[in-house]
Amino acid sequence: MLKIKTTDRYDITPLRSFMTNILSLLAALVVISIIFLIAGVNPLFAISEIFSGSFGTFYGIKETITKAIPLILIGTGLTLAFRAKFWNIGAEGQMLMGAIFATWTGLNFGGALPSYIIVPLIFLAGFIGGGLWGIIPAILKIKYSINEVISTLMLNYICAEFLMMLIVGPWKGKTRFGFPGTDNLPDSAILGLIPGSRIHYATLILAIICAIVLSVIIYKTRFGYEVRVVGENPDAGRYAGINFLKTSLILMAISGGLAGFAGVGELAGIHHYLGYPASISSGYGFTAIIVAWLAKLNPLYAVFSGIFFAGILVGGDAIQISLGLPAATVQIVNGTLLIFLIMGDYFLNHKITLKFSNK
Amino acid sequence: MKKWMVLLLICSIFCLGFSAAAIAGDKKLKAGFVYVGPVGDYGFTHAHDLGRQYAEEKFPWLETIFVESVADADCARIIDRLIQQQKCDVVFTTSFGFMDETINAGTRYPDKLFMHCSGFKRSDNVGTYFGDLYQMYYLNGIMAGALTKTNKIGYVAAFPIPELVRHIDAYALGIKAANPAAKLNVKWIYAWYGPDKAKEAAEALIGEGCDTLAFTEDTPAVIEVGQSHSEKGKQIYTFSHYSPMQPYGVDSVVSGQLMNWGGMYARILEDIYNKTWTNEDVWWLAKEKAAILGGSETDIINPKFVKELKAAMIDTKDFGKISAYDLVVKRYEQMKQGVDVFDPFTGPVSDNKGTLKIKAGERASKDDLLSIMYYVDNVEGSVPN
Repeated sequence: MLKIKTTDRYDITPLRSFMTNILSLLAALVVISIIFLIAGVNPLFAISEIFSGSFGTFYGIKETITKAIPLILIGTGLTLAFRAKFWNIGAEGQMLMGAIFATWTGLNFGGALPSYIIVPLIFLAGFIGGGLWGIIPAILKIKYSINEVISTLMLNYICAEFLMMLIVGPWKGKTRFGFPGTDNLPDSAILGLIPGSRIHYATLILAIICAIVLSVIIYKTRFGYEVRVVGENPDAGRYAGINFLKTSLILMAISGGLAGFAGVGELAGIHHYLGYPASISSGYGFTAIIVAWLAKLNPLYAVFSGIFFAGILVGGDAIQISLGLPAATVQIVNGTLLIFLIMGDYFLNHKITLKFSNK
Repeated sequence: MKKWMVLLLICSIFCLGFSAAAIAGDKKLKAGFVYVGPVGDYGFTHAHDLGRQYAEEKFPWLETIFVESVADADCARIIDRLIQQQKCDVVFTTSFGFMDETINAGTRYPDKLFMHCSGFKRSDNVGTYFGDLYQMYYLNGIMAGALTKTNKIGYVAAFPIPELVRHIDAYALGIKAANPAAKLNVKWIYAWYGPDKAKEAAEALIGEGCDTLAFTEDTPAVIEVGQSHSEKGKQIYTFSHYSPMQPYGVDSVVSGQLMNWGGMYARILEDIYNKTWTNEDVWWLAKEKAAILGGSETDIINPKFVKELKAAMIDTKDFGKISAYDLVVKRYEQMKQGVDVFDPFTGPVSDNKGTLKIKAGERASKDDLLSIMYYVDNVEGSVPN
């Protein structure tokens, strides 16, 4: 009789971790290929279309970087939260709240201030907005033991409805002819683009700086150590006298704040006004969960996994246009990748042995 | 001599064939379509896609591609891809939210053409087009006014924008023509695609005593509510919107509004192909057969309700005493002849605060209609904001 035995694995080397990721991605690609086959499309062609559509041309690369900016910002923030095993599913809402705060700041003060003052101001406002929306579930979790998966998820909807209320109500712009949406931000608050592209470089630079700073925080500071202890061994943390409330508040303020940055970038770099929640975000807060996971919760790696997933999203249009697959295909690809990455984690942390016994 | 002539003939046939092939090969047009919803939504995007297919089948020189479910946030990227990668000559963007990005794209690609549906911004190489259904709402209103028993009529509406207010007002004017005592109640759901919200709104209106419902939302949700009540013995009259939704409510759908984009897309693409295109606003109504009356492809009025409508008599100025059924047919004929023959927005029309908005004998201009933001006098409440 076949017996499956699992034991915890303690010898996790960076190489093993890396190889697990690669194998998980390959296994996911096999399943995705089967899905493509069922849809009547040659999987090799489809997958090569995705990547040539996103990395194979100058156009694709520009768009991939544009789309990677919010994913990197949110993804790095999530690595911090997930390290503490704080399951922040609410980056979407935190991002929108960042955009809301930035809109208020930009519309009210932008007209009178020069760019070098108003741009940092709207980013600060966005960080505060996202951070505040992030610490609500932290308080609920530590003070009242409310599951953060539920609270962060629900706060997404509250924020999206709040945004809708603003843009169809008090904030509706005079230049929108009755359509929902605020007026455009003043010119001084609009972010510059790399010519010929839609890459708002200020946010891109900010995203990379955030990833570097956050990796220093996680690996080199006392706070980073506390975050890791809270996540990996909360009991030890309690004995060591770590203040869980304080640690959770700070880490969620940072995680939410970075999502807020992403909201500001999309607002001031791409759209220039606050519109429907779906047009500000198109699901970055959720895609970034996979980004953080593929990065093995390392903020620096999140830069690369952010670009990777942005490539899949951008390449997704290509398979829709050239193969006539429905738009939902890309989401299936993303979801399959996430499931396999999470499953891969299990095999990384556990040793599986098969035994044949005679009994 | 004979041989020589045969040779010449063969040569000339070959030359003709080649040149014809060369002309056909040279003059190809590639059009990209950017849709806001999925092509299977059975509403707005579905109707556009039928129009695209119609045009592609009609013209051998036309090639089309589409991208569905495009968020406003992604519009610029998709246009770039259609132009740069797919080498489209013309791009159609079919949502109001795509307006600014379409104008920007026109600046980025001055040698390409863009057509934006439902917007008001144009430039040298960006045109606008729209098919409007307000006349059909008026005809639906006549039937609603004739059929209602409670004199309370409902409307489930997406967003408070001029297009919707125009449809609500046209519906209300139709109701008034048939039944001056009936009032129209409006519920806003703030979604183009929101079957759950539309269902709630429809139930709420029925709860308040409405027995007749029209709507603007991209699913048959309101009709399904009407059908389920009608099956249980409480007759609710509904009007189908945009696509033939009568099959979803055979006991409830009286009529409706259908949009046919096919003719319009064919006209626009032909103009572009023949280089006669201008950026003039294309605004099509019943006369151009863009707006069509009915809840199914075959009947303008569900046969189940014809008897009832033929029995309901209405006093009119121009036709005297006439049945609701005949009035609808006659007005529809007039609308097909043009807005100068009959238009719902002909004065006197007052808003529901008592101000005269269109003077007696005058007709609202297109600009008036495109910016209308008041309720006419038999609508309850006020337009949000």
